[in-house]
Amino acid sequence: MATGGVALDRDVYRIGVADDSPYHDVVEESPALAARPPDVGRLGRGIDVVVADRFYVADSQKARAALSTFRSAVRRHNLDEMRDERNESAAFPVVVTLRYVERVPDDAVTAGAESDGTATSDDGDADPGAAGGTGGGGDGGLGAESGGVDAAGGGTGDDPLGVPGLGGVAGGLLGGGTSGSPADISPPFPFGALVLAFVFFIPMNFVIQPYGSSILNERINRRGELLLVAPVSPSAIVAGKTLPYLALLVGITTLVALAIGGGPVSVAAVAPIATLYLAATFVGAMFARSFKELTFVTVSISVFLTSYAFVPAIFTNVTPIALISPLTLVVHDLQGTGVTAAQYLFATGPFYVGSAVCFLLGVGVYREEDMFTQRPVPLKFLDALNSRIEGKGSVALLSALSIPFVFIAELLAIAVLFVLPVEVSVPLLLVAVAAVEEVAKSVHVYAGFRGPFAGQRGWKTALVLGALSGLGFFLGEKLTAIVQFVGLPDLTLGRAAFSTAGVAVTPTVGLLLLLAPLALHATTTSIASLGATRNRAAYLAALVPAIAVHAAYNLAVVSALG
Amino acid sequence: MGEPRLTIARRELATLRSEKTIVLALLIQLFIAAFSSFLVVGLVSLYDPGSVEGYETTVGVTGDAADDLLRVVDEQPSMAGVAYDSQATARGAFRNGEVDAVLLADRRAGRVFVTATVPDGNVRTTIVVVQLRKALSTFERVERDRRGSLLSATPLDLPPRTGSTPYYGFSYTVLLPLLCFLPVFISGSMVVDSVTEEVDRGTLELLRVAPVSTVDIVDGKVWAAAALAPAQAGLWLVLLDFNGTTVRHPLALLVVVGSLALLVVTLGATIALLSPDRRAAQFLYAVGVLVAFGGSTLLPRNPVNTVARLAVDSVGPAYPLLVAGYVVLGVAAYLLLRRAVPRIGLAD
Repeated sequence: MATGGVALDRDVYRIGVADDSPYHDVVEESPALAARPPDVGRLGRGIDVVVADRFYVADSQKARAALSTFRSAVRRHNLDEMRDERNESAAFPVVVTLRYVERVPDDAVTAGAESDGTATSDDGDADPGAAGGTGGGGDGGLGAESGGVDAAGGGTGDDPLGVPGLGGVAGGLLGGGTSGSPADISPPFPFGALVLAFVFFIPMNFVIQPYGSSILNERINRRGELLLVAPVSPSAIVAGKTLPYLALLVGITTLVALAIGGGPVSVAAVAPIATLYLAATFVGAMFARSFKELTFVTVSISVFLTSYAFVPAIFTNVTPIALISPLTLVVHDLQGTGVTAAQYLFATGPFYVGSAVCFLLGVGVYREEDMFTQRPVPLKFLDALNSRIEGKGSVALLSALSIPFVFIAELLAIAVLFVLPVEVSVPLLLVAVAAVEEVAKSVHVYAGFRGPFAGQRGWKTALVLGALSGLGFFLGEKLTAIVQFVGLPDLTLGRAAFSTAGVAVTPTVGLLLLLAPLALHATTTSIASLGATRNRAAYLAALVPAIAVHAAYNLAVVSALG
Repeated sequence: MGEPRLTIARRELATLRSEKTIVLALLIQLFIAAFSSFLVVGLVSLYDPGSVEGYETTVGVTGDAADDLLRVVDEQPSMAGVAYDSQATARGAFRNGEVDAVLLADRRAGRVFVTATVPDGNVRTTIVVVQLRKALSTFERVERDRRGSLLSATPLDLPPRTGSTPYYGFSYTVLLPLLCFLPVFISGSMVVDSVTEEVDRGTLELLRVAPVSTVDIVDGKVWAAAALAPAQAGLWLVLLDFNGTTVRHPLALLVVVGSLALLVVTLGATIALLSPDRRAAQFLYAVGVLVAFGGSTLLPRNPVNTVARLAVDSVGPAYPLLVAGYVVLGVAAYLLLRRAVPRIGLAD
């Protein structure tokens, strides 16, 4: 693991080594290792590894970790020694050039070569990297000829998601050396770009603090009443209070981008994150009852959003799924690889929708009866939902709008359940997914029966609302799938191929596969909304069979596909 | 005498319970713990493919140094080499997916020039590159040994390979300190909120007409917040132990956390008393803690390092002295605040 400049693991492992041993220098150089006298008798009691005639290792997990750290320290030490050698070819006898080549099936290459008209199919055979930069020609030793210092240009296909994607200059910092001695080559990991991208997050965590205070301040001692009675709408007040902070964040982001060499793409990618930060803080400040509660809310927002944006971006060069985070766009921007409009929409879409929903909910309770009373948070949440329900159609709309949050919650469930063994985690995950979706589909129906639909608590209304809510969720889900398909063809390629194969068998089966989720969503939400007509206990009780049906369906689908 | 202060401390904890914020705090930590293990397992499986079962990389080797290179490749765990007579056949095999990578090794001018061809843009690429680097480093060592007579210094022999898990270092030097210090910072932030809110809502005036002094009020708040952090940290130690990460010296560790909590909470209370506007106070507190804590990691004996070394039992017999140092620090700051409180004009 990287220790970085700050040694958090200083002297964690103790190595017994004599002062005159050549290994003494190694132990001194490595911060994690501490030198102790080479007393084999104290092995396991104060000393983890002893260097004498051979390496003695105590029998513990810690000693094995110590040995492993020691091993890499010796390797690093050797490398440093070799750098000082005069005879370079003896010190570094191996020179490596790394080339990334897209695997093209035989016939495709042949076809490409033929359409070129310059080569026979046999020649085309020898050159799979024709799409890239330096990969040309039959001579594989192209880089080696110039002593292996040829800059990293190689082999990138025209696909902007391709792995290497390094500008020659940025190679060292932005992940992945591609030539030199074996120790110099490294896998395509955008470490530098990630660290730089993190700089964007620091000001956000500071700015949401005063923003949250400013909102909550309005609610203390009825200070906001003056603004409320003024002839401006609540949304105008909220916009007026939010825009300065948003402008501030965008300004800081632009400065940061200028400082670390990001372009307009970076700013455009970070702006929706900033917006969601503010939106979530706004809702938190509207619901919180005290400053203490607000602090916990802002800390949670920081932690959740930072990890949500950060973790997928680590896998930028590995899988297109990384694009669920806008930070991936920043990494691409810093690496100099292009970003398409579809990718931008895919990455930032959920953030824009999520922020809009948060602001809508928050503005809904920006009124006297919610702002200045100490109502419990769940009631305020129901109030916020109710303020958005106008007629039965809006139930479907709210269901569809909940999808970004469902997305985030499910990702969270995956992350939390990840540590468990697979036999436990997969069924648990299916249940968790079912629970999240059922709650998302029915909670506003429950709110509706506490508000606009309070007078019509019949089973007919319940079924209509349940079906509408299920339909809204289904449409939202399909829309997301279509956006994914358009935006990221390579991600959905396999799945699309699979589903078309399914449709090809019989059209009826295909139609059934398409409509089954709709039937499921409508049914389960109707079950939950039947319970929602009565009271909270009945609603919670009705959620259980709804979740059970949904989970059973998920399980059936997974085992049918698996 | 102690009674009103305890009452205030109890009231502080009671509001936390009624607001259920403490649940949120524990959730955050659980989330961080789960997410960081997710992260580490993910990263480790990418960077240390040996730790992931079932990955076997097949490498096509060609060129005039192929024989020597092939011998090294075959020695590597979870790697297999296939020799090819010509580049063209090796590339054909790469394209058809028979091999995961192609190494072309040529001897020229006393060196071996290796051109490694790896597949572009898929999850395996990272793993393949890491494995190739391992094999090529070993190959470099073999070749260097052959030229040993030309070198002025001989490289040291490497210690043997072990089946050590890479999570070990992470669990003790990153995860554990994180779980121990996060409650400390949250406690400090809580005391800032608690004081500024009393001032803001005007309830501090009410408290002050009661027969308690300002020092008592501050005492109560500081005690409640400072006691919360070690309690949470203790909970984590139990959970970690349950999970197989044994923590040594748990008591010493909790004392360190408690002392730091006292220090940080005192800092928070001081800032809140000096600047009762929540926005300014929280900002000052955040910056102050960030600078102090970030700065301390540059010291050779920083709190993170102390916690890590206590937990893995890498402290000498003099460790009670180290722990006592933290206690002195925390208590001194607290006593200083108590003396200063009457002089700070509280809410005029």
